[in-house]
Order: sequence, then structure tokens, then C-alpha cells
Amino acid sequence: MIRNLSFEVKIQHNLKKCFYYDDGNKLLLSPTSNQVFSWKTAPFSPNAAPNIDSITEGPICSIRFSLDEKLIAVQRSNTSIIFFHRETGETFTHRCKSESESILGFFWTDCPSCDIVVVKTSGLDLYAYDHASKSLALVETKKMTVSWYVYTHESRLVLLASGMQCKTFHGFQLSSVGIIRLPKFEMVMAKPEANSKPVLASEDVYIVTVYGRIYCLQVDRVAMVLHSYRFYRDAIIQQGSLPIYSHKVAVSVVDNVLLVHQVDAKVIILYDIFSDSRAPISAPLPVLFRGFPRSDSFTSRPGTKESESLEASDSNDNEAIIYGEGWTFLVPDLICDVANMRLWKIHLDLEAISASSSEVPSVLEFLQRRKLEANKAKQLCLAITRTMILERRPINMVAKSMDVLVTSYALSLKAGSYFKGIKTERTSSSVPNVSGPGQGVDVNTGRTDGLGKSVQHESASRVNSVSVSRPSNYLSSETEDSSSFEPLKISSNDAQFDSGKVDTGAESSATGNPLNASVSEQQESQLTSPAISPDEMYRFVFAPAEEEMIGEPSYLVSIILEFFRSANLEKVKVHPNLYVLTVQLLARSEQYAELGLCVINKIIEPSKEVALQLLESGRQNFQIRKLGSDMLRQVSLHQDYVLLLVQDGYYLEALRYARKHKVTTIRPSLFLEAAMTSNDSQHLAAVLRFFSDFIPGFHSTSDFSTYYHILNEMNSSSVVA
Amino acid sequence: MGLSSIGTANEEGVQLCIFDLRRGQREGQELDKILYFFPADLPLSSQLSVIGLSEGLITFTRIFSPDAACEVIEAERHSHVFYEAEPDIWMVMIVAKSKEAEAIWRIDALREVLKEIHSLFVMFHGCIRTLLDKEPGGGLTRAHLYPFVMDYLRDFLFGKKLQLPSFRDCLKERRTVQMLTVGREAAIEVQTLVRILESSAGNMPCFSLILFQDLLVSTTLSPEDTINMFTYAVLRLTPLALFSGAKSWSYLRKGNSSSHVSTGSTLFSTGSVLEQFYGSRDASPAGDNRYHVTRPLQHDKWFKGKDGFLVTDIWGGDIGSLNVTTPTVWLQQTEERMYLCAYQYKSLTLILLIPLSSILNGDQGVSIVKQQLLENASLKILKVEEKLSKGWGGENAYHVSGYRYLLVNGNRDISRASPPAKVTTLAKESLLALNKLREEVDAEKNRAKWDNPGREKDLEVCIRVKNNAWAIACITGGKELYMVLEKANETLLYASDAVEKFSNRYCNGAFSLD
Repeated sequence: MIRNLSFEVKIQHNLKKCFYYDDGNKLLLSPTSNQVFSWKTAPFSPNAAPNIDSITEGPICSIRFSLDEKLIAVQRSNTSIIFFHRETGETFTHRCKSESESILGFFWTDCPSCDIVVVKTSGLDLYAYDHASKSLALVETKKMTVSWYVYTHESRLVLLASGMQCKTFHGFQLSSVGIIRLPKFEMVMAKPEANSKPVLASEDVYIVTVYGRIYCLQVDRVAMVLHSYRFYRDAIIQQGSLPIYSHKVAVSVVDNVLLVHQVDAKVIILYDIFSDSRAPISAPLPVLFRGFPRSDSFTSRPGTKESESLEASDSNDNEAIIYGEGWTFLVPDLICDVANMRLWKIHLDLEAISASSSEVPSVLEFLQRRKLEANKAKQLCLAITRTMILERRPINMVAKSMDVLVTSYALSLKAGSYFKGIKTERTSSSVPNVSGPGQGVDVNTGRTDGLGKSVQHESASRVNSVSVSRPSNYLSSETEDSSSFEPLKISSNDAQFDSGKVDTGAESSATGNPLNASVSEQQESQLTSPAISPDEMYRFVFAPAEEEMIGEPSYLVSIILEFFRSANLEKVKVHPNLYVLTVQLLARSEQYAELGLCVINKIIEPSKEVALQLLESGRQNFQIRKLGSDMLRQVSLHQDYVLLLVQDGYYLEALRYARKHKVTTIRPSLFLEAAMTSNDSQHLAAVLRFFSDFIPGFHSTSDFSTYYHILNEMNSSSVVA
Repeated sequence: MGLSSIGTANEEGVQLCIFDLRRGQREGQELDKILYFFPADLPLSSQLSVIGLSEGLITFTRIFSPDAACEVIEAERHSHVFYEAEPDIWMVMIVAKSKEAEAIWRIDALREVLKEIHSLFVMFHGCIRTLLDKEPGGGLTRAHLYPFVMDYLRDFLFGKKLQLPSFRDCLKERRTVQMLTVGREAAIEVQTLVRILESSAGNMPCFSLILFQDLLVSTTLSPEDTINMFTYAVLRLTPLALFSGAKSWSYLRKGNSSSHVSTGSTLFSTGSVLEQFYGSRDASPAGDNRYHVTRPLQHDKWFKGKDGFLVTDIWGGDIGSLNVTTPTVWLQQTEERMYLCAYQYKSLTLILLIPLSSILNGDQGVSIVKQQLLENASLKILKVEEKLSKGWGGENAYHVSGYRYLLVNGNRDISRASPPAKVTTLAKESLLALNKLREEVDAEKNRAKWDNPGREKDLEVCIRVKNNAWAIACITGGKELYMVLEKANETLLYASDAVEKFSNRYCNGAFSLD
């Protein structure tokens, strides 16, 4: 089946095939002898034009822009780093003090006390950048021997390897809240034979951020497993291992899904490390290119949109090599094809993934956790649920699925994400912190403090870029467009309930984050959660299912009951329409006993809609009608109740009730007429007297004179008789 | 001694007869009319004179009221209670008005006993008329009726005396169902369990009944069938009914069943007249009978099997080998015979009714359904039992302090009453007053039914009793509330306030109309 697709960005003809990825700013950098080309990778756009900055000539070991993107730092050698000011062109050089140590690398940080961290063989040097003097001031030094290190900006975590086998690690998290030193720990390595001691390489260690938790994955080629470790503030705990089937593996994270590329086998195994389960989400799936003429998926799609992408790319036929030699995996979800000078962005094909598993509840669980394409996930969930019901799958399975959906909705209500409009989202940072009792070292990119320079600049830059490009996902944008349009349509022609709330959500987020000008550009991101409200369950699952299902409605009732059970457990309110539907279904199949119990035990909660439906359905069953009238009284719909009493000929009781509950809106003639048709002069007299006593001026109305006349006639005729 | 001896020994005892007006109309064939008579050893001539009197009264009253002949005849020393069970098939109960004051009856309550006998009989054996048509000689019908009614009456046996519902039972209502009040969450669990239960038999249209202790939790049967099945379950199937000798708090089963064992043996060992007339005296499977008669009301015949299902050899088979015939019942709603599977887990009794027509290979098919039920529902049953047990307030759960009440929802055939133990604390005077009040209300209700069929009458009566208690009856919208307030304030305002409070608190304000 079709699986995840990549995206092709940009090529520049005259570039050397030398790329660096600056994950702090999400920039792809390609330096030439005296220039640096930089491409924004977020948001991802196929035809983004590069920025070009001039630098002096010289060797380049690594290159990173400062988080405010004002400075470019280039590591020239293992002893020096040169800084260029992008606006003024000023430069200054930072050198190692001692001969005995060498620079392994560096990164910029949003840590409050420093701006840049230089990793050396002798430890970490933390520097603050002094704007006035255009120099670095040493803030702090952490001494230790370092063989190599890994760092991701997303996690703000740096791991320093040391020891003979390079498997002893020190870790620091340098976030906007401060610096956390993690306890020293060792990684596990299997020995190929008795006396050999394999050395761990930096390429075999990955820091990944999933659901706001930080893990480290370590490839053990001898044991052919991927060990995982989870980082807590005060501990590093091994979490078990995932099998690997290829000597070369790589790890990506897309929308909190862990992708293990089995490079030799050219497949990806997906894991959703949310719960304790270490089972893959689905069978291994292949990678497919989208937006590329040779890919299989392409032929089945209308060709119109493709041309755009082709213009931007210099594609040659031989470029479509999956897992080619030149592929470099960039954190968290990019692949740089150096050989062909392309950048691919990995994208989950939710449809294909959900189609590849028959375990509906777990598929729903998976889809409910997806944030990137929340709307698509939501539509898929609705479709899957509907289909499951139409196919009359076992009730147990449907019940579990209901639990999943309702629990997810309840969670999203608690987290406030259901009604929230857009939140500018960088994968890791806005994921609700799900790691439990807060002691985990979680990613905290400082979004909350809002004053952080990096955050502001990111937002600002996003405004620019969005205006330049449409959503990155241009090929599937057709389907995307239609699906993202759907919710709007729905909310406009349906219940005030829904649209109202969506609007307010959007407003509040807009005021909360004025930089968020890209809101209207991308409808899809209107939804931050694929959670499905009970109202939507009714409109998109139960109501259509009821229409399409033929024959015995008993199965559907069972499913609805399961939904009530889930909703009740999560204290989620059910839409009255669903109760009405339940009444209809039970009445249709003449299951009056069950209907009665459902009403009495308040499984079907009282409301005006339900009461009226009970009266309607009660035409065939006296008991049910009675329940309806009792419910009218119960929910204090006094006027309706009085009308019903009159209608049923209980006009005296109706008067009594009207008097007690101060119902004054019903015309006296209604009661008088009812009394008249009963042909009981005493009753008619009583009703007349009632209105004379309680309505001032009733004597002078036409009603009075008419019925007074009738009463007299009645009396005289009875005398005659 | 046995039941039958009571009837003869004690002339002030109860007489109960069932007869068919369409039979024995020729001279010399009068005996044909008699389908059942208690006491059975009353000389046939006496039996005939009782039935002759009843027949005469019916014929006479039909002149004025063809559709509904007499309901009750109050003689100086006896009350004759009439009930036309099926067209021209009459049940008559004659009770003595004893000088000892305990023998004070409410006629409608006695008639409910007759109705109950008949409804239960129909549930197991079908209509009497159908049986008569099947074998016009009447032997088959008599052979069914005799053991059935005898087994039924044993529940009213106290020591050597039949105790029919008297004024002391005026806060009870036969032919209604007592329900467990459950919270919404538990109710949903129960209802989902019902769905799973009924799906155990595949796509066949099944029915089910769930009881907790002796209270109904759920039913999918029609109201009439629910009452019958519920009554039978409480009489014979619920945990309290299974363990004979266990103390019961349901009035349906008030007798002490241990006494039945001793009397049981002598019950049917009466004279030869009886033997000839009723054909089958003792329907024990070993007996060499003309008719194969099942006795579903027989005592101590149900057991809980290892798999949790209740088994009995009443319908045949050998309980030891567990190779028994599955019981069947006849439902009025569907007019169909159903297999009865009862499963019990702790206090929870589940009854599943499966149409005979939908299971081809009989008992074997039933055991497959049972297997299916265990597989699908076991977990859910545990869960429901746990939930209900947690919410269960014990046998005094529905006691409302200060009140002795009976609440009847005639629309749904449900009733709830103060626990019997609490009712016994009332003074005799109070009970007599309420009994009297109920008689009046019954009469009023019956009158209204004739005057204005289909219309409900609202009514409220408060009576100050000599012992300074209040006896109160309220009727509105098909719901009835009876209560006794002892040691209460003397003002009427107090009494009506008490009703109002009770109504708002426990009846959704149904009786709160001014």
C-alpha cells in the first residue's frame, strides 16, 4: 500500500553537494566558497527561494545560525569558530584557549544564561554573546572528557559520549528554564565475541521527542535491536528494545509517530510509543514519493497539480531512488538526498496506515493521537466507525471503539484543545504534556514564556513564508482541500452549537497570539485535535448509519447503548437528538419494555425533544405516551403539559395544574370547548367560573358570553328532557 | 395433616373451584363442569352445590350485565369471589368471614390470587380452553390443574392453615412487579448486558429478564408476561427461593417451605374418589399415569448447576446425570412457546427465553446457546452484579422512616412498598382502616372504569383513624399511593404535607397536585 510520502524542495545548480541542517532554526544550509544558501524548511514549501549570505572563504566543519538569525557561526577547524553578523557583515573569531583540547562542535541555545554552547573534548563551554563588544563571554564550563556528542534543538538535550566504548553518557538539558544536569548512565551493547569491545558511534544514537517526552534510541547492530531509554529529570530508564531488520537504520519522528527506517529492506516500521506497548502500529510499510512522476501513487491521481512541482524540480528519471546512497536523515522528519540535491519531508499517509490494520479500536486510538492532520484523522475516524457499524462488527469491538473515541474527546475537552482554533504548532512544543506526574524531562521550548526571542522570531518568519507558499502538501492538496473545507460547510449549515464554538476558539487564539497571521491560510489546522464530539457522533455516525441500515434496528441500539456507557464513564453529555433516535428505534422495533426502562432509569435523559418523541411514539403504546407526558411535567414544560392534558380531555386537571404552575398563555376557549364537548354542564360551569374568578375582565369577553349562552342552553334542554 | 385434610376438618377454611359453564349442561353430567375443586375430598355433591350456586349467580347477574357478570357475593358468613379467567371458565373462591378478626379480606386482593393462579397456569400449560379442546373428556385439564393449584396453594400454607392475603397485606399489591432502583451508570451496564444476553442466541428474537435478589432489574417482555415470569422467578428461581428455609422478605413467597416437605407426602394421599376423578394424583415421573404432567410449581426442584445455570428435572430427565429436559413457557405476547434458561451469579438471576421454533435440535441447541451466553456475557455479568451489589441498600432499602406506604404505578404494573418487617409494626387498627379504605377505593375505581372507560380518575382520601393514625389514599394519572401515618399530628394539613413531601421526594411529584 501507499505509505508515507516525501516532499521535494529545491535545487540549486551551482552548489557543491554539501549540506548542513540547522535544526535550531529549521534551516537547510549549503555553503559555497564565499556564500551560504539557506532554505526554510518550516513551513515546508516546494519552491522556496533560498536566502543568500556572504561569508569569507575558508574551510567549513559546521555552520549554524543564531536563534535570532542575526549571526552566522561557522566552525573553521577544531580550534576556531568564526561569527558573521548578517546585517553589518562584521566578523569575529573565537578560538580554543588550550592546545590540548579541540572543538567537536557547537550549538545555539535559548537558555537564559547563555547563547551558545561549544562542545570540546574537554567538556562544555557556555558563552553569552555580548552585542556591544561583539564577542563571546564565558559563562560556565562543564569539565569532562568527551569523545563525541549528539544534540537536538527540539529536545534541548545534549548527550556527551565518553569511555573506551563511548557508551558512557553525560547529559544536559539547556532549555529556557535553565540547565538540568542528568545523571551519568551507560548504554547497553552486545559483544560480538568474547574479547572484542565494539565502540559506539554517534550515528547510532538518536534523540527523539515523542508526545513531549524525550527518548534516546541506540542501535545495537550485534543484537540487531534498537534500545530505547527514556529521560527523566533524575533518572534515565531503559524502556525495552525494538527489533531491527537491517544493518543500516535511521529514525524519524512525524507527528509523534516513531519511524524506524529499515534502510536495507527499504521499509519503515511505525511505532506509537504512547502506552507501554512496543508493538508496531502496522505491518512494515514502504516509502512512496508523492509529487513525483514515477511513483505509483501518481498515476492514480489527477495530473493537474503536478506540473507546478515539476517546474520547481530538475527531476531526472534516475532520481527516484528510495533509500539511495545519498540519503541523510535529519531530525525529526526530513530526508536530504544529497546526491540529487533534494529535501524530502516525511508525511504519514493516515489512510493507508489505518487500512493496513484490522484492529479497529487500536487504529482509532492511533488516529485520535494525530495532531498534524487532525481533520483528516477525524474524518477517517468517522468513516471507520460508520463502516464498522454498517458491517455489523461484533458489539465488543464497537464498544471498545466507542471507549476510544469518547475518552479521546473527554481528554481533549480537559486539555482545551477541542474548541481551540489554531495554535501555531511546532510539533513537539504544543503537544499536551502527557508524561504524567511531571517529573519527566519534557520538552519545554519556552513557548509559554512567550518573551523568548526565538519564539517571537519564529512566528514572525512564519508569517512571511506562509504568504509565499501554499501548504506544503501540494500534491494531495486536492483531497486535503475538500476535506478541510468540510467542517466549515458543516458548521455553517448546522447547529449553532458547533459553529459558534469554533468561531470563538479561533478568535481567542487570534487575540492571544497576534503574530498568527497565517491562520486563514491553512484551514486544516483549524483543528488541533481529531476528537469527535457526541454531537458529531450523532450527525456523522449514528444518523447516517440509521439511514443506511436496513432491517432490525436492534444492532444499532446496542451500539448506541455502548456509546451511552462510554459517555457516562467520561461524564460527557450526549446530544438530545441521539436520545430521540434511540426512542424512535426502540419504538419501531416495539421494544417498549426496554424503552420504558431506559426512560425510567434515565439512560435516555429527559428533555423536551425526548418527551415529544415519546408522545409521538406513544401513539401505539399507552405506557410510552404516559412516560412522555410525565417527562413534560418533569422538565417543567408546563405549557406543553397543560395543552396535552386538555388534548386528552383532562381539562379540569389541566386547569388545576395551570393554576398551580401559573400557566397563563393558553386561551380559555380551549378549555371551554373541551368542557363543552364533554357535554357536562357542571364541568362547563366550573370552567367558566374558574376563568371568571382568575382572569380579570373575563365577563366582558366574547368567550364568556358564547359559553355562558351555551351553558344556559344545556341547562334548559336538560330541564326539558 | 395435609392440605386436603384442612378443608374438611375446618369448615371455615377456603374453597376454591374452577368450572366450565359450557360443560355438563345436561342432567346427570353435572360432574363434567368441575375442573378443579379445593378441598378435593369434599363430597362431590357438596362440590356440585357450591358450583351450582355460583353458576346460578352468574346466570342471574348476566341478565343485567352481560359483559361482566358478578364479581363478588357477600353472604352473611362467606364471601364469594368470582373471576372469569377465560370465556365461560370461572374461578370462584369462597372465604369464611370468621369471628376471629384475622379473617378480614379485601376482595380485590383475593381476586388477584385467582388471576395469578390462572396466569401462571397459562404460562406453563397454555389456556384451559385449549386443553379442553384437546381432550374433550376433561381428564387432561383436570390432571394439569389439580397438581398445579395444589403446588401453588402450598405457598400459602402456614403450619396447617392456609393464609390468604388478609387486611394485614393491605400495603402489598399482587400482580405487580417490584423493581430495583438503579443509577444511570448501572442501568446502562444492565441494558448493555441485556443486549449481549439476547444476542447469545444469534439472530433469533429472544426475551430476557434480570433480577437482583427478588427485585426486577430489567425485562424485555410485555408487561403481562413480565409479571408472570417475575412471579415465577421469585417463587422458585431466585437465590432466596432456591435455598429452602432461607428467610424471605418478598410477600410472594411468605410460607416457610420447610413445612412443605412434611405435609407434601400426605397432601395427595387422599381417598379414592379423588384418584378416580382427577386421574393423576401424583405426577411423579415414576408414576404410571395416563397423562404426562409437569409440575412447574413443585417445591425444591430447582438446583444451581456447576456452570451457573439453574436446572430442574420437573420437565423430565435425570438431575443426577444433568441430562434434563429444558423447561418451556408460553408467552402471551408472541403466543409462542419458549425455552427457559436461567443463569445465576450471586444475587443476580438472568432468565433468557428462546423461541422453541428457532432451535431445531432441542436441548442440544439450547446448550449451545448457553455456552455462547457464558462466553459472551460472563465478564459483563460479574460487572453488573458488582455494580448492583454496591448500590443495594439491603432489604430495608426502600423504607421511608415515618411512613408505611404502598406505591403502585398502574401504568407499568410496578409497585413498591414499605418492607414487610416495618409494616408489622403498625397497629391492627391502622391496618384495618387502610384495608377498608382500599376497599372503598377499589369500588370507586371499578365504578369509574364502567362509567368512563379509558379515563383515569383522580382521588385523594385522608382518614383519621381511632388510634390517631392517618390512612391516606391518593390516585392520580394511573398511579396510586396508599399510606399509614401513625403517631402523626392531628391536622389534615399535616397529612397532606406528608403526602406532598413523599411525592416530591420519591415519586417525581406525581401526587403533588393541589
